[in-house]
Amino acid sequence: MTESRENKTILQMEGVSRFYRTRGNVFRGGGRLVVALSKINLSLRQGEIFGLVGESGSGKTTCGRLIVRLEEPDEGRITLGGEDITHLKGKRLREYRRQVQMVFQDPYQSLNPQVTIADSVAEPLITHKVGDPLDHLERVLRVLKTAGLSPPEDYVYRFPHQLSGGQRQRVAIARAIVLEPSLLVADEPTSMLDASYSAQIFEILQGVRDKLGATIMFITHSMASARYLCDRIGVIYRGHLVEQGPAEQVINAPKHPYTKALIDATPKFGRSELVPTYGTLLAAERPATSSAGCPFFRRCALAERLLCAGSYPPWRQVGPRQVALCHFAQEEVPPPPPAENAARGETGAP
Amino acid sequence: MALLQVENLGIGYQTAKGLLKAVDGVSFTLEAGRSLGLVGESGCGKTTIGMALMGLLPPNGRIIEGRIVLDGIEISALDEDELRKVRWSKVAMIFQAAMNALNPVKRISAQMAEAIQVHRPEVDDSAAMERVEGLFNLVGLPLERLYDFPHQYSGGMKQRAIIAMALALNPKLIIADEPTTALDVIVQDQILKETKALQEKFNIGIIFISHDISIVADVCHDIGVMYAGQLVEMGSAKDVFFNSQHPYTQALVSSFPTLAGPKTKLAPIPGEPPNLTGAIPGCRFCDRCPKDTASCKLEHPKWQEVGPGHHVLCDHC
Amino acid sequence: MEQTTIKSLKAKRRALWRQRFMENWRVFLRNPLGRIGMSLLVMFGLMAICSYIPPMINPMYHPMTGVDPDVVSSVGPSWRHWLGTDFMGRDIFSQLLAGARVAFLVGVSAAFMSVVLGTAVGMTAGYMGRFTDTALMRLADMIMVLPTLLVVLMLAALFGKLSIWMIVLMIALFRWPGVSRIIRAQTLSLKQRPFIDAARVSGAGHLRIIFRHIMPNVLPLAFLYMTFRVTSAIVIEAGLAFLGFGDPGTVSWGMMLQWVWKTGHMFQAPYWLLPPGICISLITLSFYMLGRAMDEVLDPRLRDETQAG
Repeated sequence: MTESRENKTILQMEGVSRFYRTRGNVFRGGGRLVVALSKINLSLRQGEIFGLVGESGSGKTTCGRLIVRLEEPDEGRITLGGEDITHLKGKRLREYRRQVQMVFQDPYQSLNPQVTIADSVAEPLITHKVGDPLDHLERVLRVLKTAGLSPPEDYVYRFPHQLSGGQRQRVAIARAIVLEPSLLVADEPTSMLDASYSAQIFEILQGVRDKLGATIMFITHSMASARYLCDRIGVIYRGHLVEQGPAEQVINAPKHPYTKALIDATPKFGRSELVPTYGTLLAAERPATSSAGCPFFRRCALAERLLCAGSYPPWRQVGPRQVALCHFAQEEVPPPPPAENAARGETGAP
Repeated sequence: MALLQVENLGIGYQTAKGLLKAVDGVSFTLEAGRSLGLVGESGCGKTTIGMALMGLLPPNGRIIEGRIVLDGIEISALDEDELRKVRWSKVAMIFQAAMNALNPVKRISAQMAEAIQVHRPEVDDSAAMERVEGLFNLVGLPLERLYDFPHQYSGGMKQRAIIAMALALNPKLIIADEPTTALDVIVQDQILKETKALQEKFNIGIIFISHDISIVADVCHDIGVMYAGQLVEMGSAKDVFFNSQHPYTQALVSSFPTLAGPKTKLAPIPGEPPNLTGAIPGCRFCDRCPKDTASCKLEHPKWQEVGPGHHVLCDHC
Repeated sequence: MEQTTIKSLKAKRRALWRQRFMENWRVFLRNPLGRIGMSLLVMFGLMAICSYIPPMINPMYHPMTGVDPDVVSSVGPSWRHWLGTDFMGRDIFSQLLAGARVAFLVGVSAAFMSVVLGTAVGMTAGYMGRFTDTALMRLADMIMVLPTLLVVLMLAALFGKLSIWMIVLMIALFRWPGVSRIIRAQTLSLKQRPFIDAARVSGAGHLRIIFRHIMPNVLPLAFLYMTFRVTSAIVIEAGLAFLGFGDPGTVSWGMMLQWVWKTGHMFQAPYWLLPPGICISLITLSFYMLGRAMDEVLDPRLRDETQAG
């Protein structure tokens, strides 16, 4: 991959927030406001696989749904290739969805049980009026093969319940890439599958990137998968993006205490001596005094009450193209050349 | 004598398409205070073994051959009434879906006290509550949450409550079937570590059932790898993971991403496991095996020792 | 693509649908209720078809207008009249056959109409949500609490005698709310399923989502409820006819019962009273059994086999 191609930003999220209002009632008035995403700044570069890592409820799925516009952000702006898509509607939204597709978490739920594999995969072709039925079938066969179902002729005329979980997820990937989108959001595509299928799914996603040149946003809870598959990693905690940088750097030299806690908790296959232990997670949560402080304050072992509880941490440059949202994050590597610094500024600073 | 002895166990399900042999010729032993991890893809029979150990096979499933001996009692020969006595007091289970194992309309403490009193009618209410409090301390649940309802607990707390319930009657064996699948990484890590500590403290035998080898790798002393109803490799965690002999184990280990060590290319396992209805001649892994030869398809492979306590079901290892 | 590939794919597609049909048919037939219900229905179907035969043999066998000139009052079974005649010498057996035809006509068409209406309303309410949902469901509630038979009786009294098609229409108009509630609930749960989100991401519009993705998933349920609605439609029609508000131009089983009662033969002519009574019971029972057996086809959880885990 050439440097210039990698540097071309395809998707950009600027200060994107999403709130949910819990249901209130007549007596209490409106419900409580729950922040699902808070001022997310993120940019995906053409042809990269970006890993968004976080626990359940961290807002990582919401982030994916905002990108494919299943939901609309309450604040901020999302642009794809320079075009503002934050509040697209109707025909233009449909046009947008030719370029941006999604693979859902649960392959047992994301395929319509009453629709054959052929019809499921051909759905985007039909809704976007590409080609005739014979052409559809041909493309479906080709794309099923790309997604690792071969010979594809054996799979087209079956119902989802006749396939295994891994095969279903491959069908879902085939459906997502049949229009050759420029951006693919993969929302925990392996978490519902047997662990032994993950490697197959990873291989297919890499193939999609290499052959179709698609950019992929890979949403996961597993640091190990992100390390394996991704070029860059963003770590998200309770709606706040807390660390972002090249995959190897984030894994080998994490700077945010939450990233460190995640790495501590990841199973090491009995080879824990190869990975340092950080111990940044507080055994018992401490009470938070205000909502203005650091989002990780309550569970952070390094936090200092005066500083961390009261003021929201700044984005700190902690390595080449690596940033962390922490008062104490420090750079341990020599600063990168200035040209790259400028490119990084737009991805990091809120 | 070993805590648990499973000998040549075979379990079948009666289905519309004939007898499905979900478990075939599985033998292993477990000493008190040791933990065994059973890993394999879904449908490989690992959950069925767990259910058989609890005497909880579904109505269409039954033990066809072999026997299960727990602490001197032959479980496979007991009837339902006798099983009920053994269940929970000698062998307890931590289920896959902990969320659904708790009664939503009863307070946690009441449920736990009831579970104790059902099996030990002689325990009075105050003694039962005392025991519940002790269990809360044991698994690290705060005492002020004793009287909460299950929906007020987070996923990790529910799992802890289930573990506490499993420990309530001091069982000798605990079967943990995918105990942390639905949990977040950090909570999973905490629960696994605590389970391990509790096991050592009380000298309990644990069988961990999981499809995720990375989980059992860190927690278990011994590992049994299952494929299509058979145990294909068994040995200490170290042997199985760092000196795997069976091609399936090797494939399984190399299809897993890890944080430790250099980043290596993952090798996906091609194909799907075989259909278990009807008889299968020869090795069941043949179709997906890189090493298979003509004879593999014809003859049943032999269970042979490749190192001290390290067994493999393969003729070419 | 080569012609041979296309051909083999087409064969695969046919095989898929055939297999699906055969599988469901097998489950259906394995259920004893399904078998009994089905055979009873076949019998009633044959009766309905055969109802055209007696008038062709001899005009005196016409269920409405054919009068046996040799008979002046109701007589019991004989070779000439297998089930006897009514008070004016009409053949009861041919009336019974004609009644089967009317029962099917009323039952199936009223059920079909009410289910179509109920499904449309239910899907609209469930999919649109908000105001539309509230408005449609309150309307459904209002109609649901009206006692159908009583209201139809009042309308009949108001407009004079109703034709059979008016009766069908009335039953349909009063019996959709139950269906719409169930379809709405199903639609609501389907709407939350990820495959709907997946369809939206694929670029499907509202209409496509409703017709292509939600409808195939609610139709089996709607079809199931149709069998139960047939039962209620037949019972309502029979009730109306017995109370004297039926279509005077058709011979239905309810009508036959009314004639028995009106002419004072209630306890004198069991050969006249029992056949229509038994037929009404059996046909409602058979549709009910059909529905129960279909329930099992549609809901795999009810099948008494568990898959190995």
